[in-house]
Amino acid sequence: MFSLYKKEIQSFFFSPFAYVLSALFMLIFGFAFVNRIADMDSSVLQFSFPDMFYNNFFYFMFIIPLLTMRSFADERRGGTEVQLLTSPLTITQIVLAKFLSIVTVFLFMMLLSLFFPIYISLHGTVIWSSLICGYISFFLWGLVCIALGMLFSAMQSNSIIAAIIGEIVMEGFLFLDQFGGTKLVESYPHLNSVVTWFSMQRRFLFFAQGMFRLEDLVFFLSLTVLVLFWIILYIEKRRWNHR
Amino acid sequence: MVEVKNLTKHYGRVKAVRDLSFEIGDNEILGFLGPNGAGKSTTMNIIAGYLPASGGTVTVCGHDIKEDAREAKRCIGYLPEIPPLYPDMRVEEYLRYCAGIKGLKRSERKQQVEMAIRRLQLTDMRRRLIGNLSKGYKQRVGLAQAIIGDPKLLILDEPTVGLDPTQVSELRKFIRELGKDHSVILSSHILAEISAICNRVVIINKGELCAVDTIENLERKMTGSAVLILTIEGELSVASAVLEKVSGISETLSAVDYDDGTCVFKLRLEDEKVRQEIMSAMVSNNINIAEMSMERPDLEQVFLELTGKKDSGLGSLENPERK
Repeated sequence: MFSLYKKEIQSFFFSPFAYVLSALFMLIFGFAFVNRIADMDSSVLQFSFPDMFYNNFFYFMFIIPLLTMRSFADERRGGTEVQLLTSPLTITQIVLAKFLSIVTVFLFMMLLSLFFPIYISLHGTVIWSSLICGYISFFLWGLVCIALGMLFSAMQSNSIIAAIIGEIVMEGFLFLDQFGGTKLVESYPHLNSVVTWFSMQRRFLFFAQGMFRLEDLVFFLSLTVLVLFWIILYIEKRRWNHR
Repeated sequence: MVEVKNLTKHYGRVKAVRDLSFEIGDNEILGFLGPNGAGKSTTMNIIAGYLPASGGTVTVCGHDIKEDAREAKRCIGYLPEIPPLYPDMRVEEYLRYCAGIKGLKRSERKQQVEMAIRRLQLTDMRRRLIGNLSKGYKQRVGLAQAIIGDPKLLILDEPTVGLDPTQVSELRKFIRELGKDHSVILSSHILAEISAICNRVVIINKGELCAVDTIENLERKMTGSAVLILTIEGELSVASAVLEKVSGISETLSAVDYDDGTCVFKLRLEDEKVRQEIMSAMVSNNINIAEMSMERPDLEQVFLELTGKKDSGLGSLENPERK
């Protein structure tokens, strides 16, 4: 399993892929950062990251499908899926190795973004509790999105289409988030409770205040596990329906 | 080594493989022969554990491919129709990765990779990107990944397709060598290849088993009666008169005078032993025999007979070496 993980990591870092995406990520983060700084009241040198994370995540969500699009689609297209499935590795191991490798790249990007809080702490005050919670929520949402992106990649043999489907679903999340805040939804309590359950914003608010709730952790992790399990089932199902 | 019992595979309503049963012994090269679309690749995919069977069982080295997949897969080296290669990896790096996913111990990996590189003569290419290799070398890398870990069973799905004649003969030599200490299943629709390499053949058509036997046995079975081709120096009429006196010739299939002093007869004999009588009859009548040979049906005829394609021409069959 480690060999597969290593190969996946290498396919990201031995090609421009991880670097180009990291650059894009840093660019988005940098723009938001500059805007925030420029918008600041000159008398207060406190900087709130969670808001920035929240806004950034909307952009970042669109990077994730690019990160995950190749995971299964390319294996299928190149005929290497046969090798993986006829190796002694189980499908669970294959899915986990691929998932962990993408999570590693994701962590690498988050590590790069540490540049901003470090820079701030040199010149001002950082509210560490909300920063750490911001990172945690960012990471947890990332896990869910990565698992989803991989699912679409497993369903497709064309990586571009896998990416586009990923973007569409991410767009759906974005819509849900904004839709949850509309007056229409708010006037229907039942609908509201369903929509806000999936909405990032509500969960984000807690994190932004530096609150780490078990409920949120369970929500994100169980969603991730559920989607990963779905991928395993899907690949197994495709073996049976193979044409 | 491998036992296939009542193997069946449906693709929706289409039955790709029907009730296939055969066995493969230790250190045996089994040819898997059939026209395109006969179910060769499907069967191999099932034996290798890539596809699940709809019915029946496959046992590899005593492990059921369904129940005990992990252990069974450890005994198998598989080269699919399209070699499973990553174009952006280097040869050595790729082989090390293969050794890894096959679950070899760290200490064994290096040695196994070196062995594969040496056996397939990839030493000069080890640092090259796989994407930049020629078709022949890609095929070799594909074979190298199959033999890594020294699996007891090798499944090779049409390994010589698209290679030039030199490469084909090299590859065949290599497979014959592998057959000394491995069991090999080799699929092909090229008959010459199968008869050149394999000990035994399984012939399938439309998913059904047509025959499992050694090549010699199959050929012998097809020989209903012996046909003798006789070339003599002398006159046709004289020779015909002599042949008429020989008992044991059931039929004269053809007699051609080439106008250069030689004639060729094609005779159906009741028994191969009649040859000697013909020989002595010719000698005692002072007719020189230039050539005398028995005509035997080859694997190709057996194949056509069994797959019922005798009259439909050679459409899907390639046979570059015999034509």
